[in-house]
Amino acid sequence: MIYFSELKGKKVYTKDQVGVGTLEDLIFLASETPKITKLIIRDLKENKIIVPIEYLNKINRNITLEKDFNLSELSENELYLVKNILDKQIIDLKGNKIVRVNDIAIQDKDGFYIAGVDISPFGILRWLRLEKITAKLLSFFPFAFSAEFLSWADIHPLELTRGQVKLKKEEKRLEKLFPEDLADYLEKTNVTNANKILKILDEKFAADVIGNLNINYQTSLFKQFNLDRCAKIITLIDPDEAVDVLLAMSQKKREQIIELLPDLKKKEIKALIRLSRTPIGELLTTEYLAVQPKDTVSHVMSKIKNETTEFSYFSAIYVLNEKNQLIGVFGPHDLLLQEQSGLVYKFMTQNIIVIHLTTPVEIAVKKMLKYKLSALPVIDMEKQILGIVTIDDVTEYLLEKIK
Amino acid sequence: MRQLWAKYKYRFLVFISVFGPATIAAIADNDAAGVATYSLAGAKFGYSILFILLFVTVLLAITQEMGVRTAAITGKGLGDLIRERHGVRVAFLVFLLLLIANMGSIIANFSALKTVAHMFNLPVIPLVIIVIVAAFLFISKGDYKTNQRIFLFGTILYLSYIISAFKTFPDWGKAITSLVTPVEIKLSKEFIFASIAVLGTTITPWGQFFVNSFVVDKKIQPEKLKYSQLETYFGAFLTDFFSFFMIVATASTLFVHKISLISGEEAALAIRPFAGELASILFGLGLLNAAIMGIIIISLTTSYAFSEFFGFSGSLDDPYERGRFFYTLFLLQLIVAALFVIFPFISLFKIVFFTQSLNAVLLPIIFYFLLKITNNKDLMGSYTNSKDRNYIVIASSVIIIFASIFVLISSIFKL
Repeated sequence: MIYFSELKGKKVYTKDQVGVGTLEDLIFLASETPKITKLIIRDLKENKIIVPIEYLNKINRNITLEKDFNLSELSENELYLVKNILDKQIIDLKGNKIVRVNDIAIQDKDGFYIAGVDISPFGILRWLRLEKITAKLLSFFPFAFSAEFLSWADIHPLELTRGQVKLKKEEKRLEKLFPEDLADYLEKTNVTNANKILKILDEKFAADVIGNLNINYQTSLFKQFNLDRCAKIITLIDPDEAVDVLLAMSQKKREQIIELLPDLKKKEIKALIRLSRTPIGELLTTEYLAVQPKDTVSHVMSKIKNETTEFSYFSAIYVLNEKNQLIGVFGPHDLLLQEQSGLVYKFMTQNIIVIHLTTPVEIAVKKMLKYKLSALPVIDMEKQILGIVTIDDVTEYLLEKIK
Repeated sequence: MRQLWAKYKYRFLVFISVFGPATIAAIADNDAAGVATYSLAGAKFGYSILFILLFVTVLLAITQEMGVRTAAITGKGLGDLIRERHGVRVAFLVFLLLLIANMGSIIANFSALKTVAHMFNLPVIPLVIIVIVAAFLFISKGDYKTNQRIFLFGTILYLSYIISAFKTFPDWGKAITSLVTPVEIKLSKEFIFASIAVLGTTITPWGQFFVNSFVVDKKIQPEKLKYSQLETYFGAFLTDFFSFFMIVATASTLFVHKISLISGEEAALAIRPFAGELASILFGLGLLNAAIMGIIIISLTTSYAFSEFFGFSGSLDDPYERGRFFYTLFLLQLIVAALFVIFPFISLFKIVFFTQSLNAVLLPIIFYFLLKITNNKDLMGSYTNSKDRNYIVIASSVIIIFASIFVLISSIFKL
């Protein structure tokens, strides 16, 4: 993730080190997926030129473009980042002023798109180049301060064209969002409300959303559904997820639901559940390193030096918030690529692959192989980390079973 | 008569509906610092300084009108516009300067409050606490309408200067001729200084911010702009109408009897031997009123600016919950300023001097933004400055900017 405040004013060169100008603004598609499409560069003669993002080679201290790039123009449905969003007033549906857009977070993995807007004072401090020093000073205090985001999913793209950054909290518009975003949103409302919203969505989409909810929430949602609906959703979601959900229910309800499943699905799920007799708890180790989202890289390094000397296995560092919930993860390699003063929350991966105490070992292995991970964190109903399961322990267990 | 009423009834009612912000903003420019400067100028230069008033009135009207116009057309305050058009860095810097300069002005007004308290033998600390508590309650609990009424009532209290001036039995003929013709002006360095000081206390950075925010908060629609502009001219006239009597009161007493004043706040006591008890008390009460108006309005200006720059809800109509940053900052400024005055660990004189210098730096910056905004077609549509008006506005701004830079440089080098 990068912030626009860090990009604006960066020098732009071509691959063969010819100066082009400085970055002035970005152009994005005003839609549900706010893809960044073009760069606006103030060239050496102070003219503004528009370059499609396809010609962007890399961003580090400077911005590098491909050797031969073409110019482009603003097309339909495109908006400017600075002119249309940055520094604008955010209002809610009733028109009350909330706060201003202090900075814009840009997702830079798998293409560039706007992840959300920073509305915290840190957004202001970043423009003044005071963010790091303030974070350092604040780390002496026991309270937690960090950047505060408004997800893109909460903003009306249509209103942007009318010069307003308006929040949407309206049920009818929810279906256009990503399942992940909606899951995040639903987790914040109560179960009855969430159920009401899920009812107006089509079943495939609703299943995707439910698959993205945390297990605690999934369980309470299934309590609200009737058996038919439960069975339908179980068929639609990922079998691994389905087993996780089923195992968290009472045995009676589980069996009733399985009876309602189509034959093929029934077989698959039953097989998976049979495997689950071995509790993952036996393979659990608490030998892992946890840090906080606003720790600096140098702080994490010293933690590794002091706390991991006895570790027999070390492949990932887990990020916990103040409620001890797992919110991010990164590897030693990610860490080494950062500058000493970098902050953890900026480079950690937020999309975490987790398992639960009820997850069968076979599914854990499957997940490890699928995502190419050598250890998985085990979390409880409150998303708090209980420990990790490493690939050594899992394979050892499987080998013994084969014997 | 009835026909006349029927003909103008609608227009009159619209005028009443928009009436308030421009008058209050203009009158607030006669805060305690303003009153003190006028008293001092009157005592030192007599009626001759009155000639400058006409000029000040025109400049005040022109600059305030720009503020009223941008507010009514764009529906945004100066803070909103600066942040949206120039980004965080510029907005932060301007806000910081405004915050500090306003703090200094509030301290100056509290200090005048202290002087008046001594004059009337009132206990300082309880008086300060009462002012703070009452101000906070009215601002946080009262809506826009209530507060506007209170401010307008404060405006009426400036009438005390008129009575006070009459009690000094001035030479009215001479006063009025001095107003329109340069009589007995000795173009000394002191006279130029005093003229600039008068200009500087009347046209202030916070005055420009306040008129914008207060018009926005009243939600005046573009189609009523004509009436608001009319009110602006009326407000500017009224402000200097009162200033006229302040100068006359000290000119006909202290100047005539060649008594020099050390500070303007002492004028109320100094005129007693010549004008009598009533005039002196009224003059003092006028200063008390001016100080309280200044304290509230300048602090309110910073709160408005903060809300605009950083996008928080900031309106007198907001309930406390929604506008808590707005109201808390208002209260905080009053408390800090009061502490500075009650426990003067830094010389108040230095603070006032520093504030004047800072205002002198800030004013050109604000006029730069104001001129840019009022000439921007995207924002103002057909309400941009017309060519002729632009010449006048730019000329006035240049005069004010030069005046403030002049004061700044001369005070740095102690000319």
